[in-house]
Amino acid sequence: MSLSLDLFGSLFLHELSFWWVIVPSILLGFVVGAIPGFSAANTIIILLPLTLAMDVEVGLAFMVALYCSSRMGAGIPAILVNIPGTAGAAATPLDGYPMTKAGRGQQALAISFVASTIGGLLTTVLSIFIMPWLAEVSYHMHSVEMIVVMLFGVSLIASIAARDTLKGLIAGFLGLMIGLIGTDHVYATPRGTFGLLELYDGVPLIPALVGLFAVSEAFMIIEQRSILTEKGLNILRGAGWSATLEGVAIALRRWWHITWTGLIGLVIGVIPGAGAAIASFVAYQQSRSFSKTPELYGTGHPEGLIAPESANNGVTAGTLIPMFILGIPGGATAAVMLVVLQYQGVNIGPTLFEQRPEIGYGVFIVMAVTYLLMMVTILPLARYMPRVTMARTVYLAPLIISFTLVGSFVPRDYVFDMFLGLLFGVIGYIGRRTGYHVAAMLIGVILGPMLEQYFLRAMKMADGNLMVLFSSNIGNALWVALIVSVALPFVLEYKRNRRSAAGTA
Amino acid sequence: MTESAASQLQEKCPVGGELIIPVVGLLFTGYYFTTIIGSPWTAQVSALFVGSFLAVLSLIFIVKATTMVWRGEADFGVRGVFNDTDLETNRHWLLLLTVAYILVVEWGGFTITTFVFLTAAMLVLNKGNRPAFIALLAAAFALGGYALFIFAFEVRFPVGPFERLMRWLLA
Repeated sequence: MSLSLDLFGSLFLHELSFWWVIVPSILLGFVVGAIPGFSAANTIIILLPLTLAMDVEVGLAFMVALYCSSRMGAGIPAILVNIPGTAGAAATPLDGYPMTKAGRGQQALAISFVASTIGGLLTTVLSIFIMPWLAEVSYHMHSVEMIVVMLFGVSLIASIAARDTLKGLIAGFLGLMIGLIGTDHVYATPRGTFGLLELYDGVPLIPALVGLFAVSEAFMIIEQRSILTEKGLNILRGAGWSATLEGVAIALRRWWHITWTGLIGLVIGVIPGAGAAIASFVAYQQSRSFSKTPELYGTGHPEGLIAPESANNGVTAGTLIPMFILGIPGGATAAVMLVVLQYQGVNIGPTLFEQRPEIGYGVFIVMAVTYLLMMVTILPLARYMPRVTMARTVYLAPLIISFTLVGSFVPRDYVFDMFLGLLFGVIGYIGRRTGYHVAAMLIGVILGPMLEQYFLRAMKMADGNLMVLFSSNIGNALWVALIVSVALPFVLEYKRNRRSAAGTA
Repeated sequence: MTESAASQLQEKCPVGGELIIPVVGLLFTGYYFTTIIGSPWTAQVSALFVGSFLAVLSLIFIVKATTMVWRGEADFGVRGVFNDTDLETNRHWLLLLTVAYILVVEWGGFTITTFVFLTAAMLVLNKGNRPAFIALLAAAFALGGYALFIFAFEVRFPVGPFERLMRWLLA
């Protein structure tokens, strides 16, 4: 399984010839990604009759382009109106939205697009060459290792809590507690469901996402004329192409940051069941831990925006690797793609790369082509999209409420989920008003059930022996890395304080 | 009440609103624990761990806030959450309209209910100004939403008389 440069070149030109299907799919992906409740997987399912009727390579180009662009699309409303389109973009507004409020929406979008494109492109190209070794990662990630990976994400709660420790931790633990609603993963015993059958499968993610971010935000913003500050409004009115290009330059200067956070996404993406949400939380937390200016995170810091965006695009290539090598899809969209490929008679496995390289390698090369075309397609939009934020909140707030609440209806067809979205909106509103960070709560809701699932699985296999958590070499190495990454910010801050104290003296 | 006493009361920090989330957390943890009594160990372990932490953190916050009130530095007011801006901005009406929207959308369908909700909410928030513009804007978004999601993508949005009529007309 190796790819020569000649083959790479000819496949690249071959995939480029599918631009006519890739470009419309990119635009569709932006729409799908930007609306909470929709996803690339759902859209591929909805358009399945069309996909199955296409030639296998055209169908693949369509699915891959939709998949990649929906990841980027999810970041657009997260940056502009504080509404993450998917859970994978839940860490994006932490620094993206403050930039928008300050009238730097163009720069924020440009940074997000460049980080997503370069992060996605680099990890895709890298995947082509190190695929067999990356596939091994999914073999070695068992329950114990996954617990530590989840804890990397959960430790972001502590980072957020750094500004107001007690409130941050209360919000995070309340989120974790809400995440535990539903039946347990071993005996299916219902817990904390208030007797509601709709909660037996746990708290659905979209209503939580929509409520905590979008609905609560809509109730907050009506106090102002626009979501921008007066100064921000003036800045945006005067902003031209130079602001977009400034965003591009800011992102390009941080190419190394894009690279290593993208790699975090790639490795997490390879692990089946992990996904973009974990990757973006972990990348944000790691970015903050190793930053020289951690205090700027959450205030509109470009690196706080680059980390989740690059990581969640790194996940895209990662989820396809175990699918093509081992036949294990790394996520929901990859699973739907697997079904389509099997319907088309494509045999998944290492031999695919020898027998049908236009499909095996082709899928990753079409991904690279998509990222290149995406840059050309999307960058001009960064110039005009932030204009949305100039709209008066009296018009914007009802639109946000109606469309996002209906979005929470879509995944399960339950009006109950719309009420749940409103309930989370009220909780989020009270939280924002009183200084409880809604992002900490959402991390708990997203990661809580997954953490419990892996924890119970590990304990079940070890007959309840807690020492199982330290029973594997990879797991132990991850534990050390976790402790270092959590402790490092405190050590660095201590050193900085000592240095500044010495300087003052 | 003297003027100085009134200004002193005004300066007090209202911690009542800040207590809502910890109290809700505490009550929910208590309820959750009642649902796992007698359950297998696997159903209890995570909740006991997370719930205990949440309960302890919430109690610390409640004690801290009560101590502030005891010292006269704060009061149990909820001005931080509910205040005059709610009335000024018509936030309470927006909340009621949202509840009505969710109740009606199931049988009213997406297009009609969204149009009515958008028109009513925008008029309420805009204090009744520019009704024609608002009606046009609401109609554009409701019909645009129908065209994009229900007609083009066949997404399962709530279906009502308008959607049924259009399905019949386009069949």
